[in-house]
Amino acid sequence: MPDQRQPGIFKWSRRWAPGLIPLVILWALAGWNGTVPFETGLGVQGRAAIKDMVLDGASIMVEGRDIRLSANAFSEEGRLSALATVEAIPGVRLVNDATGLLPEAKPFVWTADRDVVRVTLGGTAPLPAVRARLIEAARSDLPGVEIADRMTFARGALPRFEAAAVLLIDQLPRLKEAKISISDGNVKLNGMAIEIGGREAITAALKNLPEGFSVAENIVQAPPYIFRINKDPVAATLTLSGYVPDNNVHAAIVAAIGRKFSGEKIVDNLKASVGAPAGFANAVMTALGSLSRLSTGSLVISDREVKLSGDALYEVAANQLRESAGGSLPKDWSYKADVSVRPAASAVDSTICQQLFSELLGKERIRFESGKTDISPDSVGLLDRLIATTLRCPSTNIEIAGHTDTDGDDAANRVLSQKRAEAVLSYLTRAGLSSERLTAIGYGSEQPLAPNDTNDGKAQNRRIDFVVK
Amino acid sequence: MSTLASFHWGWLLGAAVIGLIMGWVSIARRSEGLSLPAMRWTLAVIAALIAIAITRLLPGRLGYWLELGLLLGLVYLVGCVVGAWLRERVVARAAAKASVTGS
Repeated sequence: MPDQRQPGIFKWSRRWAPGLIPLVILWALAGWNGTVPFETGLGVQGRAAIKDMVLDGASIMVEGRDIRLSANAFSEEGRLSALATVEAIPGVRLVNDATGLLPEAKPFVWTADRDVVRVTLGGTAPLPAVRARLIEAARSDLPGVEIADRMTFARGALPRFEAAAVLLIDQLPRLKEAKISISDGNVKLNGMAIEIGGREAITAALKNLPEGFSVAENIVQAPPYIFRINKDPVAATLTLSGYVPDNNVHAAIVAAIGRKFSGEKIVDNLKASVGAPAGFANAVMTALGSLSRLSTGSLVISDREVKLSGDALYEVAANQLRESAGGSLPKDWSYKADVSVRPAASAVDSTICQQLFSELLGKERIRFESGKTDISPDSVGLLDRLIATTLRCPSTNIEIAGHTDTDGDDAANRVLSQKRAEAVLSYLTRAGLSSERLTAIGYGSEQPLAPNDTNDGKAQNRRIDFVVK
Repeated sequence: MSTLASFHWGWLLGAAVIGLIMGWVSIARRSEGLSLPAMRWTLAVIAALIAIAITRLLPGRLGYWLELGLLLGLVYLVGCVVGAWLRERVVARAAAKASVTGS
């Protein structure tokens, strides 16, 4: 009697098989209805779990209770931690590991390009947080400029990469166009500065690059360094505009104008700025002499180019001005002259001729090197005006009279005044005037204009007069 | 497994109900049910499926469906046991009553 040997439960259980049919139907229905929602729920949990983890390109795929995690981690610890986190989600059966470490970039290259409308950050960033901070730095430095983020992730940045990149981003507001790159520790910078001085400011800032980074290339163009003087004889003004390197050069230029020009009013719109080309002050001093020889015209210095344009007082002067700047310009400087000759003024009689000479020499004096007979370069403008006046007096004989103060020996003073008068005469003949109607006489201290007991009086007495005979 | 159970509790309840009914009716049925060899085979298959589930041999959805099926089966069996036990109690009580009445 086998039935009696079997326990009741076993006996009954042999009759339970028919229930498997509805059970299988139930199973099929549960699988049909529940699989996708179950997977979706698990996916949501999985994504929430890794949301704040430092991973690149993280994605979660769910099949049944199995999760496939794909991501590039920034470190091995981060990778293992992400896997453990997903594994710990309730309901997960298996985690299929499709994670890896980010590739190591060699060299680690990061770029920032700026054009008129946008800044594009490219290359590789070491971490999402660093990437976000670089974008934020660009946004705060350049409000209103579109920031395009083309950065990807890679490992292998130098330790203080972020500080270097932020420092370079901070230079972008100074640049109109720029191509900046960091390749491992090498910083390259190409671009065009917005303002004069921007180039120098950037160079100074690059000195603060963090340790391990150095400037491999720094080619920043700056707008031309412009210095301009317009000479307007009608209003008797000299208008100065543009830039000078500093207040000392500024003062030196104004002082030189005082010596080289005959009392024109100065309209001074100069601004001080760094970025002047080397030899700027010397070039201006040289070119000012040439400008003083023009009746009307302008002097424009643009970087290392000196451009003089206007009207000379007579043909020889025009030729001289076309040939040279009136002295040696610093090395690598160029000179351009667009000089014509002012139409010759009408001839005048001897009385007016004398008046004209007196007027010219009343305003300023022909200067000589101290104790010597060499005419100072400061007086070339005055000499040109004297020559132009002489040309208006074709029928007169002119005495070039040299005078000194009473300091020193009489005979020596007479010789000095004679030689200085002859130097002037020689200058005039070199300008094309006939020496026949010019005489040079040195009077020493015989004919003082003022008492010789003061320095002012002595200065008035040291002079060259043009006397119409 | 508890996540699976809590997510599919409705279906599991259904399996339990089917089990209760089958257990209940199995007491009174005259049929012998499965033969012993068939019963052995059935148990072997179930054991094999449990082994597959534990070793996680089936990947993805197949594994999930297997676990779901086994869970439903487990609940069904529990339902059967409880149903059979209850019916058995009822039948035994009725038999005891009849014998008292009959004596």
